[in-house]
Amino acid sequence: MSRTPLWTSARTARALKNSAEPARSSASPPKGGDAFSYRVAGAAAGIINGLFGGGGGIALLTLLTGRGKLDEKKAFATCVATILPLCAVSAAAYFLRGGFPIAHALPYLAGGLLGGLLGGKLFREVPNLWLRRIFALFLLYGAYRYLT
Amino acid sequence: MKEWFLPFLIGTATGVLSSWGVGGGTLLLLCMTLFLGVDQAEAQGINLLYFLPAAAVSLPAHRRNGYLDMDVLRAAAPIGTLCALAASLLSLSIDISIFRIPFGLFLLYSGALNLAPRKGLRRYRTSIAKSIHHEK
Repeated sequence: MSRTPLWTSARTARALKNSAEPARSSASPPKGGDAFSYRVAGAAAGIINGLFGGGGGIALLTLLTGRGKLDEKKAFATCVATILPLCAVSAAAYFLRGGFPIAHALPYLAGGLLGGLLGGKLFREVPNLWLRRIFALFLLYGAYRYLT
Repeated sequence: MKEWFLPFLIGTATGVLSSWGVGGGTLLLLCMTLFLGVDQAEAQGINLLYFLPAAAVSLPAHRRNGYLDMDVLRAAAPIGTLCALAASLLSLSIDISIFRIPFGLFLLYSGALNLAPRKGLRRYRTSIAKSIHHEK
């Protein structure tokens, strides 16, 4: 039987014990502080997405994982779900500005549909380290684009 | 055939990454502008539109596998959507280039943080969490 190392402080052990418990049921409301920080993260994502037409997921993911409250994989998937309506708004704004090249977009949309289905099925098997590394490369490329 | 097949193939590959939330859209944008000769403005429009089905079809699997945190979703999505709407309208009337540098620095910081995580601490914390979990 594995044991908690003796050198773990009581506070750390308590915090880790709480984090090792199964995920909170979706029926139970989040604590006030948690709900507030989630709203702040959502607002930051919305502002960035609205201003730049994308990139809101980065702020959301950084805020969700940075404070260590959410498991990485859960944070990535939840981020996709949260960003979806934000992107719909950005897409609507783009449409109002000048319309969509629908005919040109169709092969990409069909590919995205298939890729999304495959991605959903494969997500469980992907190591967290891979996700983090791919995401980091994407962030650094984004930084290069914005800073140059 | 080639005109349709290559975009479809690239859309599929980047769709997988988009459904994982790791920046498939940016890669698609890059492929479209660098390799497929798509105009930048048109590529941005396609990119925005393509994310919607790619993300939407992956959500049932994420939910089935227990990866969606409904507390976060309920708290962040409504206010995020409202802010996106307000910022979209704002972007029409202000020069957003002033935000480029701070946002670029934020990306650089986040990228560096994700590329060089504190492995030792993480492993230590995970091992303790697992040991507590096994004891139960």
